[in-house]
Amino acid sequence: MVDPRVGRLASVLVDYSTGVQPGDLVALSVALPAAPLAVELYRRVLEAGAHPQVRTGVEEEVGILLREGSDGQLDWVNPARVEDLERADVHIAVEADVNTRAHTGADPARQARRARAREPLLKRFLERASAGELRWCVTLFPTHASAQDAEMSLTDYQDFVYRAGLLDRDDPTAAWAELGERLRGLAGWLGQKREVRIVAEGTDLTLGVEGRIWIPCAGHENFPDGELFTAPIETRVEGTIRFTYPATFHGRRVTGVELTFDEGEVVGARAASGEEFLQEMIAMDEGARRLGEFSFGCNDSVQEFTGHTLFDEKIGGTVHLALGAAYPESGGTNRSALHWDLVCDLRSGSEVYVDGELAYRDGRFLDGVL
Amino acid sequence: MTDPQVERLAALIVEYSLELQEGQIVRIDGLDVAEPLGLALYRSALEAGAHPYTNLGVTGLVELLLEHGSKEQREFISPVQRQEVETIDALVTIWAEANTRSLSRVEPSRHAGYIAAHRQLSNRRWERIFEGAMRWCGTLFPTHAHAQEAEMSLEEYERFVFGACHVHEDDPAAHWRNVSSSLRARAEEFGSVRELRIVGPDTDLRLGVEGRSWLAADGRYNMPDGEVFTSPLETATEGEIRYTFPAVYHGREVEDIRLRFSEGRVVAAEAASGDAYLQSLLDMDAGARVLGEVAFGLNYEIDRFTRNILFDEKIGGTMHLALGSGFPQTGAQNTSGLHWDMICDLREEGEVYADGELVWKAGRFLAEPAAEVVESGVRG
Repeated sequence: MVDPRVGRLASVLVDYSTGVQPGDLVALSVALPAAPLAVELYRRVLEAGAHPQVRTGVEEEVGILLREGSDGQLDWVNPARVEDLERADVHIAVEADVNTRAHTGADPARQARRARAREPLLKRFLERASAGELRWCVTLFPTHASAQDAEMSLTDYQDFVYRAGLLDRDDPTAAWAELGERLRGLAGWLGQKREVRIVAEGTDLTLGVEGRIWIPCAGHENFPDGELFTAPIETRVEGTIRFTYPATFHGRRVTGVELTFDEGEVVGARAASGEEFLQEMIAMDEGARRLGEFSFGCNDSVQEFTGHTLFDEKIGGTVHLALGAAYPESGGTNRSALHWDLVCDLRSGSEVYVDGELAYRDGRFLDGVL
Repeated sequence: MTDPQVERLAALIVEYSLELQEGQIVRIDGLDVAEPLGLALYRSALEAGAHPYTNLGVTGLVELLLEHGSKEQREFISPVQRQEVETIDALVTIWAEANTRSLSRVEPSRHAGYIAAHRQLSNRRWERIFEGAMRWCGTLFPTHAHAQEAEMSLEEYERFVFGACHVHEDDPAAHWRNVSSSLRARAEEFGSVRELRIVGPDTDLRLGVEGRSWLAADGRYNMPDGEVFTSPLETATEGEIRYTFPAVYHGREVEDIRLRFSEGRVVAAEAASGDAYLQSLLDMDAGARVLGEVAFGLNYEIDRFTRNILFDEKIGGTMHLALGSGFPQTGAQNTSGLHWDMICDLREEGEVYADGELVWKAGRFLAEPAAEVVESGVRG
């Protein structure tokens, strides 16, 4: 018997998140362990009168390529996936790991090479999305591997995942719409501001945001969701930030990351562990040393750190910064093959000033800020 | 740890069946349950310098599409699929099911419509194969479902499958090159035959084959393999045939089929079970009542019926005749959305006459092909 929440998740993704319409070409990129969700998504897409196209991913395939592939093979981009990207009206991606650390032993330089080769895909994806030609959503299907990262049983982790998606509510879609309303209000207010300053233990970072667009995220492109982001001005980030949570990228974990910025560029990068990987990633290309995103996590149904960005960056009371590519719709211009989110918990002993005024303390916007 | 037999099968397909070259794009198709062989093929293709990618489907989706999809959805071919057929250099189809009967309750006309629509893609694929623009190989990954069909344990079935592929030989590719020589010699010898007559229990069928080319199925398009075949003349088949083995088409079984032909077309057909399905397939289109293939099964490692055409049609000592589309490279004219192989066991009482001369008895050719022909087969 399939967990009934899998069917509810599929319905929300198809009907609410991506609003699938009759005749849409819907690419379903699904990691094989998420087969139960693939079946439910396929069913809902058919019900919506659209054309589901399933693309499965096999985690081990990437591992084999990273270990054994030649440079030419690492650089190869599958023309069929380019075609998918050009043709799809909707793209729903489902991650599901059997082993979240399978690529830990891979050579970071080779990982970076593969990511660079695939950058045009990412860029084109973001272009079509921001032009409104492609609706997309990324989600995660709970597996033992992700539960293990979260230090939970699979059952507890499933509860965590579906609660984070508000799927325990009577009407998940209404709950997401309500959160969206609140975030739109905040986005309008922040859109008038010039500067955000974050102060916490080990952190004093100022970001220029004048003229940038704040994007409220309420379950359309990420699921679960709940954040409010923009792209800081590429040359106007100053100071230091210490990330409280470990940062995971392509299956590798880096802890105790501390970054110092000058004129928007990373001029100091340290990590308690995984520093070599951190250095390799920020040396990937020109844009990897600059921020592409700054965001407030606003999902109060996500409270615990679970080692997965999709959830961690949404924790109500956190902020996150991404090194690398910006989302064009936020007005950012930074380009990179990298987009690496790093999360900082602000729920205790922290303050955020907006244009010099205290607007947020200990993980919450102050009452009356709007 | 991957079963070493799986790795050997993958290496054989990459090296021998597809002869993959550096820089070629190879897609590996199958369902999720084929993942171990999919990955082994991926690795072998990567070693050969190619650009492989797996295209593994999720079990249960076709069932959903056929049951719940509208006609437009069922017969939809995406522009991406059309494009892919043009760009890949090689394709491996791994047949592997979690349940070989999951389509048994689908309404036959819905299924037939789906197959006919997707024929656009496979027709284009075959065109490219015949132009020499791409390679294809179909193979099987053993699952419990296939073992169950074969009435074996999975372990026995694995032994059967890998045995039929000869992956235990010191050099499996060399074995298949030898098989290829001998099959090509036989095919060349048959090229001068005008008429075949098949005689067996409730069977006396004459087929015209004059001017048609016989081909050797030598492990390039299928692994395992082992047959020689042609497409008979479309208007010359006369007489009747009774198929001793059940005929399976897309997971549905029809038992004890008897067909009567006149001037090349099926004029009477009956089956002990599955008769409605048989009739609906015969009515699929104009070409469905005409034979598209006649073949000798010559893989004597395959010694029993396992309800899977990949193996059954190669059982050493059988013949099979397929209704529907022919093979253009043999000179065939018949086109159809159908290609349904039906197998006739000739190992006990069968006789085959070529232009009136007995050439095959009880499942064996009476003579080896002439030595000089073997030589030319090697060169070919």
